[in-house]
Amino acid sequence: MDLYYIQGILMLAGINLMSVLGLSLLTGFTGMFSFGHAGFMAIGGYTSAMMTVNYGWPFIPALLMGALTAALMSALIGKLTLNLKGDYFCIATLGFGEAIRLVLDNVQYFGGARGWPGIPNYTNFTNVLIINIIAIIILANIIRSRQGRNMIAVREEELASQIVGINVFKYKLISLMISAAYAGIAGGLMAHYMTFLQPKMFSLVKSTELTIIVIFGGLGSISGSVLGALVLTSLPEILRSFSNWRLVIYGLSVIVIMISRPEGLMGGYELTPSSMKKLFTRMRSKKGNLPKSMEGGDTL
Amino acid sequence: MNILEMKNLTKCFGGLTAVGNVDFGVPKGIISGLIGPNGAGKTTIFNLITGVYKVTDGKILFKDNDITNKEPYLISGQGITRTFQNIRLFKKLTVYENVLIACHSNGNYNLLESVLRLPRCRKQEKQLKQKADDLLEIMGLKDRKDLIANNLPYGLQRRLEIARALALNPELLLLDEPAAGMNPDETAQLMTLISDIRPKFDLSVLIIDHHMDLVMGICEKIMVLNFGCKLAEGTPQDIQNNPKVIEAYLGVEG
Amino acid sequence: MSRFLQQLINGLSIGSVYALMAVGYSLVYSIMNFSNFAHGGVIMLGAYFGYYYLTKLGLPFFVAFIASALTTGILAVVIERGAYKPLRERKAPFLYFIISAMGASIFLENIVIATIGPTFKSYPEILSRTPIQLGSVTLGRIDLTMFIISAICLALLVFFIDFTKMGKAIQATSYSVKASALMGINTDLVIIVVFALGGFFAGIAGVLFGMKYTVYPQIGIITNKSFIAAVFGGLGSLPGAVVGSILLGIIETMTSGYLSSNYRDLIAFVLLIAILVFRPSGLMGKITEDKA
Ligand SMILES: Nc1ncnc2c1ncn2[C@@H]1O[C@H](COP(=O)(O)OP(=O)(O)OP(=O)(O)O)[C@@H](O)[C@H]1O
Ligand SMILES: [Mg+2]
Repeated sequence: MDLYYIQGILMLAGINLMSVLGLSLLTGFTGMFSFGHAGFMAIGGYTSAMMTVNYGWPFIPALLMGALTAALMSALIGKLTLNLKGDYFCIATLGFGEAIRLVLDNVQYFGGARGWPGIPNYTNFTNVLIINIIAIIILANIIRSRQGRNMIAVREEELASQIVGINVFKYKLISLMISAAYAGIAGGLMAHYMTFLQPKMFSLVKSTELTIIVIFGGLGSISGSVLGALVLTSLPEILRSFSNWRLVIYGLSVIVIMISRPEGLMGGYELTPSSMKKLFTRMRSKKGNLPKSMEGGDTL
Repeated sequence: MNILEMKNLTKCFGGLTAVGNVDFGVPKGIISGLIGPNGAGKTTIFNLITGVYKVTDGKILFKDNDITNKEPYLISGQGITRTFQNIRLFKKLTVYENVLIACHSNGNYNLLESVLRLPRCRKQEKQLKQKADDLLEIMGLKDRKDLIANNLPYGLQRRLEIARALALNPELLLLDEPAAGMNPDETAQLMTLISDIRPKFDLSVLIIDHHMDLVMGICEKIMVLNFGCKLAEGTPQDIQNNPKVIEAYLGVEG
Repeated sequence: MSRFLQQLINGLSIGSVYALMAVGYSLVYSIMNFSNFAHGGVIMLGAYFGYYYLTKLGLPFFVAFIASALTTGILAVVIERGAYKPLRERKAPFLYFIISAMGASIFLENIVIATIGPTFKSYPEILSRTPIQLGSVTLGRIDLTMFIISAICLALLVFFIDFTKMGKAIQATSYSVKASALMGINTDLVIIVVFALGGFFAGIAGVLFGMKYTVYPQIGIITNKSFIAAVFGGLGSLPGAVVGSILLGIIETMTSGYLSSNYRDLIAFVLLIAILVFRPSGLMGKITEDKA
């Protein structure tokens, strides 16, 4: 395995991570599930590619434009569907994601279903790394602010949130918009990494994969999402020689995870310097035997 | 002077009139009580005041502003908070987190300031955390601040719910059976606590309760509800001597 | 006018198969309140089983037909036992069911790719491809068969639900699982029956689909349409699923006939969003009131 190959995998993981971080805010911290985030990636990807290819914009402004467009689109969808009950919101996002893909199939300006080649290769290891670090810091800052706490409150109990004066709809919308913006950036990174876009890349399977990563990493844990994205993106790549069987195993593992470790890898824990210290002192004093409850960490 | 006025308040669920044509004023600066047998419509009145249910007919005025059918978060923003008969805490979060969340309206830094962790955000965060600590201290929950709310003993969960409500700096506090499930000792402690915090936070309080002694002991004004309608209203003495009340309610109890 | 009639007939035929699939989604939703996305995989396997029973085992058509329906009925129950029952016992939130279902669907699709391969398979010619001519309208023999078989199956289902003891138990359980359990209904058995029924009809739908088109692992994607139909009619409502399916079938064929077949799928998903925004309970779903 050469360095180049490893870098390639890490870049793919990083691009996925960007989407997963956004989805983590929506799902892990605000308690809403989306099966349409591939749609926001598509919007971000196509917008930013349009800016660099057709308008000659530099990479970063193009990425931000993609993020903005995805966020605005999510605001529109959110206004219409955020009041739906949990599973109906899920289905609505699923419909949205698929609709975006099918619309793009028919937009000849972007090459339609055949795809859009010749996008400049601007994404590289360094910018993926830096963007992800910034994204993580922003996310952590949001979560330990009053806005982030309000989102967590919405996740825990909507009625109680209302009673303590939280505008539930508003915080759901903010969370959705931020997560869509993250997905939009991920889409832009992907476009300028693959140098090629095709609506097929943003199917329901992609959206499902993102949600699975968030759950696998552990709801309500940023470090879990990071770990999840790294593990679940690189494993299938490394297992590529097993070709078809890897997806069989993947599907089976999803079921096994759901029924055996629903709290995911991290399950509410956060890997921070302070929580590591706590963990070690507790291990020394009690020899394992950790309580299962959500504790330590900086979830709030 | 009344801080809250209900005018001709009515709520129907299908064919059932849970609350019918109730007129009642909650005076400012004292503790008032709302009593009545099971299913009389007491909790429904709280749900109407706080916007959880939509009003069928009538009006609710808070400090002379019409708050009928406003969204619950707006009503609590105006200064009315409550506790629930079947406790509604953020169960999986810690005691401290429960109160800290409710402190949110004491800060006004915006999302951008949070994202960049600007000085105003840091400064206000410190104040919010201080406020949460102070409230836990006052409510005697300080030594359990890192416990998961759901793991608290029942009585303390009710206290935590009050602490959380106080975090919003309310002017009117609605308590729905705060002593339910408590032993006489705990009930007595709670009564003292409620009478202590009322002047301390400059509150007006409306309590629903089944414990006659509690209500008679600390309330200066009482309304009795029966089958959704107002049966009587007045001082504890008035209520105790009212023949209709004795027949409908006290008679059954004692 | 004849073009309209022609599209209407095509729509009825495709819609009736959607209905067979959609009742599977709705039955499960009515009891367990989640969208069983593994259903598409079961339908796909039904098409494959039918293909193998016909070609490799050389079974007569109707035997192969019933055999594949029975196989998928059992398969659906196995999926329930493996992927959902543990979640049910833990009272997990609906999302875990959905994710588990998606895992099962990924599993089913790829196990077919890994073992059989991604290539298309064509059913042997069971019915003559020459259509019946009725004036200016042509009636495909397969389309006619699809419609008749679907109609018979749906009639049997209605009979089962309305007139048998188990059917009554299903109705009661869909109203309230808790209350039914207290009334002495074996809700676990009800769930097994519901999955078996859904799987049985999935098998029939799969074979019908295979006959009309071809068989390939991603056939499950088409079955998403029947899910949309179920939402359209009102998730959890059987009459809703049937009405929604027929309407969706007609809307689709009309779109292909008058606009372009490129927009056929898009219309379906736009319809899905529109129905959720304007009438989330669907055309015939039960409207639930909120409680505090
Ligand atoms: N969401 C609802 N839907 C239908 N009926 C309701 C609803 N909420 C309350 N009710 C009915 O309204 C009536 C009054 O209920 P409410 O909870 O206000 O009584 P209460 O006085 O608080 O009684 P308790 O002392 O038992 O708490 C009851 O008959 C109750 O069944
Ligand atoms: Mg009550």
